[in-house]
Amino acid sequence: MNKKHPKGPPALGTYLLKKIYGEEMHEEISGDFNEVFEQRKKRQGHLMASFRYVWDSVLSVRNLDLKSQNSIIKTSNTAMIKNYLKMALRVLQKHPTNSVINIFGLAIGMGVCLMIYQYIHFESSFDKFHPGVDNTYRVLLDYSQNGEPQGTGAHTSFGLGVVGKQEIPELKEFVRIHPQYGGAVLTNPENGQPYKEEDMLFVDPAFLQIFNFPLKAGNKDLVLNEKQSIVITERMAVKYFGTEDPMGQVLQLDGGWASGSFVVTGVLQPIPANSHLQFDFLMPIKLLTEDHRQYKESSGWGWNNFVTYVHLRESADLQQVADKYDQLILAYDQDLAKSTTSVSVIFQPVADIHLKSDYSGDPATNNGSLRDVQIFSIIAIIILVIAWVNYINLSTARAMYRAKEVGVRKSIGAFRGQLIYQFVVESALVNILAACLALGIAYMLLPVLNEIIGRQLEMTVVQELGFWISFLTITLSGSLLSGLYPAFILSAFKPSSMLGSTRKASKGGVNLRRGLIVFQFWISALLISGTYLVYAQISYMKNQELGINMEKIVVINGPEVNLNRETIKEKMNTFKNVTGSHHSISMVTGSGSVPGKGYNWRTGMWRFGISEDESKSGNVVFVDHDFTKTYDFEFLAGRSFSEMASEENGFIINEKALQVFGLGLPEEAIQQKLIVGGWDTVRVMGVIKDFHWNSLKDEHSPYIFAHQGSNSYISFKIDLQDIPGTLAHIEETYDAVFPNNPFNYFFLDDEFNNQYQADLQFGNLFTSFSILAIFISCLGLFGLVAFSTNSRIKEIGIRKALGAEVQSLMLLLSKEYMILLLIANVLAAPIIFVWGQSWLEDYAYKVNLGIGLYLIPGLILVVISLITVSYKTYAAAKSNPVIALKVE
Amino acid sequence: MSRAYLGEFEELVLLIIASLGNEGYAVSVKDALSDQANRKVNISAIHSALYRLEKKGFLNSRMGGATSTRGGKNKRIFQVTAAGFSALQASKDLRSSIWKTIPQLSFAVIN
Repeated sequence: MNKKHPKGPPALGTYLLKKIYGEEMHEEISGDFNEVFEQRKKRQGHLMASFRYVWDSVLSVRNLDLKSQNSIIKTSNTAMIKNYLKMALRVLQKHPTNSVINIFGLAIGMGVCLMIYQYIHFESSFDKFHPGVDNTYRVLLDYSQNGEPQGTGAHTSFGLGVVGKQEIPELKEFVRIHPQYGGAVLTNPENGQPYKEEDMLFVDPAFLQIFNFPLKAGNKDLVLNEKQSIVITERMAVKYFGTEDPMGQVLQLDGGWASGSFVVTGVLQPIPANSHLQFDFLMPIKLLTEDHRQYKESSGWGWNNFVTYVHLRESADLQQVADKYDQLILAYDQDLAKSTTSVSVIFQPVADIHLKSDYSGDPATNNGSLRDVQIFSIIAIIILVIAWVNYINLSTARAMYRAKEVGVRKSIGAFRGQLIYQFVVESALVNILAACLALGIAYMLLPVLNEIIGRQLEMTVVQELGFWISFLTITLSGSLLSGLYPAFILSAFKPSSMLGSTRKASKGGVNLRRGLIVFQFWISALLISGTYLVYAQISYMKNQELGINMEKIVVINGPEVNLNRETIKEKMNTFKNVTGSHHSISMVTGSGSVPGKGYNWRTGMWRFGISEDESKSGNVVFVDHDFTKTYDFEFLAGRSFSEMASEENGFIINEKALQVFGLGLPEEAIQQKLIVGGWDTVRVMGVIKDFHWNSLKDEHSPYIFAHQGSNSYISFKIDLQDIPGTLAHIEETYDAVFPNNPFNYFFLDDEFNNQYQADLQFGNLFTSFSILAIFISCLGLFGLVAFSTNSRIKEIGIRKALGAEVQSLMLLLSKEYMILLLIANVLAAPIIFVWGQSWLEDYAYKVNLGIGLYLIPGLILVVISLITVSYKTYAAAKSNPVIALKVE
Repeated sequence: MSRAYLGEFEELVLLIIASLGNEGYAVSVKDALSDQANRKVNISAIHSALYRLEKKGFLNSRMGGATSTRGGKNKRIFQVTAAGFSALQASKDLRSSIWKTIPQLSFAVIN
C-alpha cells in the first residue's frame, strides 16, 4: 500500500483512528480524515498535513464513547449466544448418557480422521524435499513384443543415461543407481567386527546434487569422485566407529559387487523417512562400470541392472524427450534393434514413485499404495459420517422431549430462525468439544497406528496452518450438517400441538432415522466383510500347497569374507559334511537364492531349433545337487543333479517353463535343449511340478535350476527337537570354517510369509477401523434404543400387567432393528461382491468368494447389535410395571 | 422521548447540515464552518457533534459515495430529520421572541 501511495497519511494516525473508533466506524471516519489531509497537503505540504492528521487523531480520543455505544448493539447479540450456550450446556448435563454417546462417538470419529489425515499427509509427502523434484524423473522402460505388452520396469542399462545426456539437450543431468544386490559384508579393520549390510547403493557423483540428502561432513561435490570412497550415514558411523571421527577411516568390504578397502569421505545426515531411496552406504558407480568384468566388457546396453534418474529442463516436453530417447535406444542397442521386442521410455516423476509404482526391479522397498491411501481416506470420511449420523439420529429422536421447550419459546415470541440458531449452537458445542477430545485421541492412537503400519509417524500436521483451517472447516461444517436437520424438525413444531396435554409423537424423521440406521449397518456390513475377505485371502495364500516344503528349514547367509576360489569348494564341502553329520540335521544344501528371495538371473531363452525371435524370459536359480531333495520338489520326469558331478551341464525346469518354451509333455522335454541367451545350449534333465517360488500374488513363471556351485544361501533341513542346540552347532561350525563372516539365520517359512506383511498390515488397519466404525454405530444404536424403550415404558408396563413374557417384550422392542439390519445386509451384498472381485484382481491366486462372505458379516452384526439392543430392552422388560405406570 | 437540549455548536452544525442538502458530511460541515462562520473547528469535534445529534434523533444518515481524495473510503452523509427541523425552529422562535423583548434604545446603541 505504502509503495502505491508514497504520500499517504501517516500510519500512526490511521492506527490511532482504528483503535479509537473501532473497525466498524473506521471507514467513514478515516475517509473524512483522508479528505482533510489531502486538502491540507495541497496548501501546507505533506509534513504539516501529516502532523495535523496525527494531532486530529489524538484529539479524537474525545469520541472514544462512540465505539462503546456501537458495541452495545453487539453485546445484545452475545447475550443471546451466551443464553444459547447456557441452554446447550444444560441440555448436555440433563441427558448425560446421550451427551457422552454424542461427544465420545464424534470424538472417536474425528480422532481417527485426524490420524488418517496424518497418515495420508505422510504418504503423499514422499520425495517432495528434493529442490528440483518437479523436473526429476525416473526412467521406466515399457517393453512389448509384436505389439503385445511385456510389462514395464525400472531397470535400465547403464549406457542409457550417458547417451541421453550427450544427445538430448533437454536432459540436464542423469544419475544411475545400482543396488548392492544380495548385500555385502563390511568390517572395520581396527576392531574386526563384521556386519552384513543390505542397503548399499552404487551411484553417480551427481547423486547428491540431484537429490537433497545433506551431508554432515564432507563436500557433496567431491565425496564420490574417488573410486575407493564410501559415504555412510550417521547411524552407520556410530555402528562402525563409535565415537571416533569416521572421516578418513577405512572400511573393508567383502562379497557383493566390489570388494576392497574404502575410505569414508562423507557422513550423511539421517535419510528422511519419506524418501523412496533408503540406504546406509553410497559408493561410486565407477567401481562397477570400470572394474566389473560383466559391465566393462559389455557395450553398456546388455545389462539391465541399473535404475536411471534424469533431471530435465523446465521447458522440456516430456513426450518429445521420451520419443527422442526411444530413437536413441534403437540406434545404440543393436541387439534390441534386431529383435522383435520394442521399448519405449516413460518418465515417472520422482514424487510419484512412492504411491504409483508397481514395477519390477524397483529398488524402493518402502513403496506405498495409492489404493490403500484412497481406501483409508474413504474409511476416515465414513467413520466421521457415522458419528454425525449418530448425532442426527439422537437429536431427532429426542425432539419429542424438547417439544415443550420449543412450544414455550415460540409462544413467548421466538422466531423460527432463532430456534434454528439455538439448535445449531448446541450441535456446534458438541462438535467443538468432540474436536478438542479428538486431538487427544489422535495423539493417543497414533502409536497404535505406527505399530500396525511399521512407521514412525508423528502428529506433524498440527504445525501447519492449512491443517487447522481444514480442521476448523470440517468441525464447523459438521456442526451445521448435523445440527441443521434436527433444528428444522424441532423448530417446525406448532406450539398448540406441543403444549396440549395429548402430545403427539412426531412421525417426522422416523423414516429418516430408519434410513440412517440402515446406512450405518450397511457400512458396518461392508467393513466387516472387507476385513473377512482380506484375512481369508491372506490365510488362503499362507495355507496353499506351495509345491515346496518350507517347514523345518533354516537358512543362513553364505560366507563372503576371505573367500579364495581354490579353497572355497573344499571348505564348503567340509562345512556341509560337518553340519550334516549332526543328528538333527537331515539335509544341507547351498543355492544362489531361496524361495521368496527372487531369482539369480533373468534372461531370454528359447527352444533349440526355433528362431531367436521366439525368445521368452526365464528365471534362473543356481543350486547344488541336494537342493531339490531338501525342498521336496516333485519330479514329473527326469532326475535331479547327481552327487558325483560337481557341476553338470543340465537344467531342471518347472511345468510353466515346459509350457512357455513349448517343450510338450514332461517326458518329451527330457533331453531337449534350451538356448540360454548369452550363455550356452543346455539340455533339460528333469521336470518338476509347478511351485510358488514367490508370494501367491504372482503367477507361476518359468523357473530353471542350474547346477552351479553357488552358496549365497545355505539351507538346512532340521528336526524341531532341539532348535537352539542345532543352531549353536551350525554357528560353531560356520565360525570355525569361515572365520570373520557374520552369522545370520532365518526360518524359511517365516521369511516367506513376510511377503504378506503388507497385506497383513492392510488387514490389521482395516480391522481396527471396522471395529471403530462398528463401535460408533453401536453407540448410536444404544442411544436410540434407550430412547425408544423409554418412550414406550408405559406400553411395556401395560403389556406386562396383562401378562406378557419378558422374551416377547424383548422381541417386540428389538424386532424393528433386526428388520433394518436385514435390509442393510441385503443392500450390502452386491457391493461386497463387486468390491471383493476388484480387490482380488491383484492376486494371481485368490480365495473363492463363498457364501460365508455374505453371511458372516451379517451374523457378526446381528450378534453385536443384539447385545447392544438387549441391554436396554431386557432392563425395560424386567422392570416392575407398577413403577412404569405410576409415572405421569 | 424527552425534548433534547440543543447546544450552540450543535445548533450550528445542524443548521449547516440542513443548508448542505444532500452533501452534508463531516468535511463539508468543517469547510462550511470555516467559510461562513470563520470558525476553525477540529474534525474530531465535528464527528462528535454529528454522531451525538444522530443519537438524539435530529439527524439520520446513510453511507454515500467514495472519492479518490478519501482513499476510496465511503462517507457518512447526514440529513436533518423532522425532529431536527422542529428543534431548529423552536430554537429560532425562542431567540426571536427574546429579541423582541429587547428595548429599542439599547438596540440602537448597539447598531
